[in-house]
Amino acid sequence: MISAFFIFNQKGEVLISRLYRTDFKRSIADVFRIQVVSNSDVRSPIITLGSTSFFHVRVNNLYVVCVTKTNANAALVFEFCYRFISIAKSYFGKVDEESVKNNFVLIYELIDEISDYGYPQNSEIDTLKSYITTESVISSAIAAEESSKITTQATGATSWRRGDVKYKKNEAFVDVVETVNLSMSAKGTVLRADVDGHIQMRAYLSGTPECKFGLNDKLVIDKNSQGGASDAVELDDCRFHQCVRLNEFDSTRTISFVPPDGEFELMRYRSTSNVKLPLRVIPTVNEIGTTQVSYNISVKANFGNKLSATNVVLRIPTPLNTTGVDCKVANGKAKYVPAENVVVWKIPRIQGGQECTFSATAGLTSTTTRQVWARPPIDVDFEVLMLTASGLIVRFLKVFEKSNYHSIKWVRYLTKASGSYQIRF
Amino acid sequence: MAANMRGLTQFIADIRGARVRELEEKRINKEMANIRKKFKAWCSCHAADGNLDGYQKKKYVAKIIFTYILGYKVDVGHMEAVNLISSSKYSEKQIGYLAVTLLMHENSDFLRLVVNSIRKDLDENNEVSNCLALHAIANVGSSEMAEALSEDVHRLLISPTSQTFVKKKAALTLLRLYRKHPTVIPAAEWALRLVSIMDDQDLGVVICVTSLIMALAQDHLDAYAVCYTKAVDRLHRLVIEGEYSATYAYYKVPSPWLQVKLLRLLQYYAPSEDATLRSVLHEVLQTIMNNSAEPSRNVQHNNAQHAVLFEAISLAIHLDASSPLVGTSAVLLARFISSKETNVRYLGLDTMAHLAARADSLEPLKKHQGTIILSLRDKDISVRRRALDLLYSMCDTDNSELIVGELLRYLKVADYALREEMVLKIAILTEKYANSYKWYVDTILQLISAAGDHVGDEVWYRVVQIVTNTEDLQEYAAKVVFEHLKSPSTHESLVKVGGYILGEYGHLIANDTGYSPLEQFQVLHSKSQFCVASTRSLLLSTYIKWVNVFPEIKPQLINIFERYRHVLDAELQQRACEFYSLASRPDDDEVLQNVCEEMPPFPPRVSALIGRLNRKLGDTEDKRTWIHGGKEMNLERHANSRKATLGPGSSATGTTTVTGNTDAQDVMSSLAGLNLSSPGEQSDPSRVDSSVVAPRVAVGPSVEKWFNKLIYSADGVLYEDVQIQIGIKSRYQGHLGQLAIYLGNKISVPLTSFTSTIHVNDSEALSATFAKIPPNILVPRTQSQQLLHVECKKAFSSFPILTVSFLAGAHQSVSIRLPISVTKFIEGVKLGQADFFERWKVIGGPPREAQAVFPITLDGAGQLDLVRYRQVVSGNHLEILGDVDPNPNNLVAAGVLHTSVDGKVGCLLRLEPNREAKLCRLTVRSTSEDVAAEVLRLIEKLLRLDS
Repeated sequence: MISAFFIFNQKGEVLISRLYRTDFKRSIADVFRIQVVSNSDVRSPIITLGSTSFFHVRVNNLYVVCVTKTNANAALVFEFCYRFISIAKSYFGKVDEESVKNNFVLIYELIDEISDYGYPQNSEIDTLKSYITTESVISSAIAAEESSKITTQATGATSWRRGDVKYKKNEAFVDVVETVNLSMSAKGTVLRADVDGHIQMRAYLSGTPECKFGLNDKLVIDKNSQGGASDAVELDDCRFHQCVRLNEFDSTRTISFVPPDGEFELMRYRSTSNVKLPLRVIPTVNEIGTTQVSYNISVKANFGNKLSATNVVLRIPTPLNTTGVDCKVANGKAKYVPAENVVVWKIPRIQGGQECTFSATAGLTSTTTRQVWARPPIDVDFEVLMLTASGLIVRFLKVFEKSNYHSIKWVRYLTKASGSYQIRF
Repeated sequence: MAANMRGLTQFIADIRGARVRELEEKRINKEMANIRKKFKAWCSCHAADGNLDGYQKKKYVAKIIFTYILGYKVDVGHMEAVNLISSSKYSEKQIGYLAVTLLMHENSDFLRLVVNSIRKDLDENNEVSNCLALHAIANVGSSEMAEALSEDVHRLLISPTSQTFVKKKAALTLLRLYRKHPTVIPAAEWALRLVSIMDDQDLGVVICVTSLIMALAQDHLDAYAVCYTKAVDRLHRLVIEGEYSATYAYYKVPSPWLQVKLLRLLQYYAPSEDATLRSVLHEVLQTIMNNSAEPSRNVQHNNAQHAVLFEAISLAIHLDASSPLVGTSAVLLARFISSKETNVRYLGLDTMAHLAARADSLEPLKKHQGTIILSLRDKDISVRRRALDLLYSMCDTDNSELIVGELLRYLKVADYALREEMVLKIAILTEKYANSYKWYVDTILQLISAAGDHVGDEVWYRVVQIVTNTEDLQEYAAKVVFEHLKSPSTHESLVKVGGYILGEYGHLIANDTGYSPLEQFQVLHSKSQFCVASTRSLLLSTYIKWVNVFPEIKPQLINIFERYRHVLDAELQQRACEFYSLASRPDDDEVLQNVCEEMPPFPPRVSALIGRLNRKLGDTEDKRTWIHGGKEMNLERHANSRKATLGPGSSATGTTTVTGNTDAQDVMSSLAGLNLSSPGEQSDPSRVDSSVVAPRVAVGPSVEKWFNKLIYSADGVLYEDVQIQIGIKSRYQGHLGQLAIYLGNKISVPLTSFTSTIHVNDSEALSATFAKIPPNILVPRTQSQQLLHVECKKAFSSFPILTVSFLAGAHQSVSIRLPISVTKFIEGVKLGQADFFERWKVIGGPPREAQAVFPITLDGAGQLDLVRYRQVVSGNHLEILGDVDPNPNNLVAAGVLHTSVDGKVGCLLRLEPNREAKLCRLTVRSTSEDVAAEVLRLIEKLLRLDS
């Protein structure tokens, strides 16, 4: 299992170092620094040198590294790394060099808690938060009581939930968040379009509620044999939170679970068929001789006019030898950013069905070595509320509890793109 | 300069401050966009007012350079850099040159634009611009630049107005250009002019020029031959007369760098014949050795001394390996190889190897054999390597067993990098100095089993060759190989040797117990499964030979062929099939026997091993003047390289002559017994003469007149022009002569770098040497005298040529024939009438008689000019005999020519002028036909003159 855990900064300096076992010395960190951080050729997240394997995950210029001498389950080790990152995020917001330095005591406490002798332990955020706190120490009596509860909870049937939760108002919020990935060729054909979705849930429910959840997922629909329902969505793969009863899902395709208290990610899924593209971008880019490039780009919102796309940002690449760009836009603002060799066009809001246009000319200077411009793709970021690109809809969410209280359920949809909605020209 | 460029400082500070690479990239992108914008704007309107001044251009180009140095790609600003070069401000020009040398590679198209600006800077009077331009040329060094600008660089170097530092840089720039593009520089044409700078007042210039000349002289030995005298003279002045400024003394050693270079330069040339030079050189070397006799406390002082000393020892060895100097140096070297300092040990061993490579007797070295063998275990690998080289060089038949044994022992623990070379050397030594063949076979087999992978194929090929060619050895070799094969782990090379030798000679030992055919077969076959396909196919051939000689194991062998018929390897399969059918023929068939006849001896051939070893020595810098190995090897190499230099087209490839020849000896072709060096040998001797360049002789009516007069008189003017006057006084005694040459400076400035050299066409017959090295300065309006010793060894027919070159503003050189004819060495003899005619008859007619009839003019009175005739004849040192011929107009004379080699040659002359016919008959009889013809030619020419 994991023998050591490190966090490195960009330069390869050790920020956090924890040895779970005695088979390594602290100097193993130098090996990683030399072999991985200073070696720009290394792309693989797993490096095996001799009998030592380094697993690393990069986040915000930090390397989160696990080292092992055994033939450990790689997926498990990576899950551990990602889990650490999400825990750290929930504890102190951003995970970067500064926050790690500011919270190093807390981090040591956390990594000691979530792993024993290199074996991953309970890493449920809500549970952790109940006994690893950032606030000052609570009075000893309560602390003793709390700690006894923790033991029963951690060893009980639902280790992710305490039994004695009480709310005046029983509410459950479901957020369906989809990220659209697109790459479109210069001719307008879709090369790749898929949706990464996750369903985030916030449950404020008393007692030990039993929830049932239904989607317009093809598997479920077919199972119910309603016969070729048109709005069925094909999900490629689903991953569930540990609270979901998988054997029930396998046999009857129902998602039933006892939710943890507070916020958690209920499931993740991927969909590759019938992806609706919320924004249609039609670029016309011409190189005029060797001294000018003209741009003509239109963006069309491809959804009902009641909805709107917000925070739309287009990054339109310019040749590397651009001297300046002259932009004309009707909506939003466009500006040449030489630091990144792009023109950034920001549109605060596009109503459904609306079309915006952009036209510009970029002046070029002559260069020594004449190179063909690589024409990197246009990158679009946006957010559309109450729309799912995959067409997924939550059909029902039922809550059963012994006390049979009434609960209020909220469902929200969001489709967004950031960094991977790309159109070539 | 950077201090006042705020923008640049800020830019650099920003980049330094960037925490991550992405930020740095962003900052650079932004800056480059800004620069692009600025340059574009400038481009579009620079004709009008040019809103970008020099300062801004400089600043932006500096930013571009900085970005480029950081490793980013830069593709703007080249044009601006080119523009900056032509700026008049130093700082802008400097940045421009910096950009050009950094941003542009040598094949860049932009360099064409720069060439003219650089030329302008070279032509300028401002030394600083000159230097910048020279730097740029040396740094970029493209062939285009070399072609266009080498003339200008040369001009800067030779110009009398150039500052010393410009000269230094110019010399080094030329050196760099020559190294990169040897063909561009007319090395031979510039030879005299360049060598004359070796007399410069400034030692710095001399060092630089000497470096240049070292490179040039290596490839153009003859053209630069003048530098020999210069180098000796300079060494003499440095070492003996202490003529150097204090700034050039490094820890009290006068300019050790220059000394080393000069000593090295002298090693490129064959030892001089000139006794004066030799004695001066001897004195210099002696002084150097004496100076370094006592080691000083100071490390730097020691280093400098040793550097010079080692080079001096090398030169001493080069000059004459048996001189007492070398004896002294051998003692010094012995001290060095046991020194505490690694560097000294290294150099000591290296120089000792040089000595071993040249010396006739290795005795002095053998005394230190123990120390040298100990050096094989030195902690420094380079010292170990030198020790190996030295042992290799000093090995001979007496100590070969000891040395080879020691090397073999060391091989087992030696560094892997060293092993391959060691194996080759051991193999060569064993072969070369083997006292007995048994020892040879033992050692080589031991070598193969010890070194394994490091043994090249050549080694075992050679073993097989030698065993095959030596009949007495075969049985013994078969036994030893068999014993070696029995050991549990054997190397593949050993299996190959075993396969071959047992196949050929296994039957010789088959009757002894323990060597029966079956045992041989089992031992060999047990190894085959670990071998690669080529070895297995060799083993199959062994088996078919055995089928022939050992019928008793035929079934087993056939069984093996049978099995191999199904292997996948095509070669093995084919062999197996062929051998199988060959072996399964009926017993009384003759085919098998005929096929398996014993191998005939190999034709004698050069060992491929030496070729292989030499191929390993690549030389990249200054040529070595010797190679490792004994004396014969060096002699052989010398002969080879001599051939190579005479061979066609060799001067172009000059730098590789040493290795070139040996490279060509491909291993396989040398095994096939081809003599690849034959093309070199075919070069006819006539090329030798043409390769020695004779200086062009000055001509002119007065020169001719002066010369002719001097032929028959002892003193007079030889040459005169506006600058110098050359006069001659001569004295002859037997075969020796002494000429006092008076050189007069007629102008009011000193003639510097004054060089006079004698060129003798036929040095076998006539030798001419200066009594001492001539001074190199001729002060205004004075005369200097130089004594020239001449010696006549045989009859000769051409005049020696005196070349005088000097610097009087420009470099000038005058070549004139010296009036040294064969008749100068004649002494007149008095003979009576009877004696004369008796000898005249004894000599007889042609070919020992030479006769000519030619027209003459009469003097004003219509009479024969008898006085003049007498003068000419007696001027040629012939005694006129009064009462021999009855006709008073006829002249009869006799003389004896003294030569040191051919002895005395008698010479008789008869001159019969005829007033009426205006003709004259001249007859010369001599015991040597060459002398007769020569004397006739000389005298006829003088008499004919006024006709």
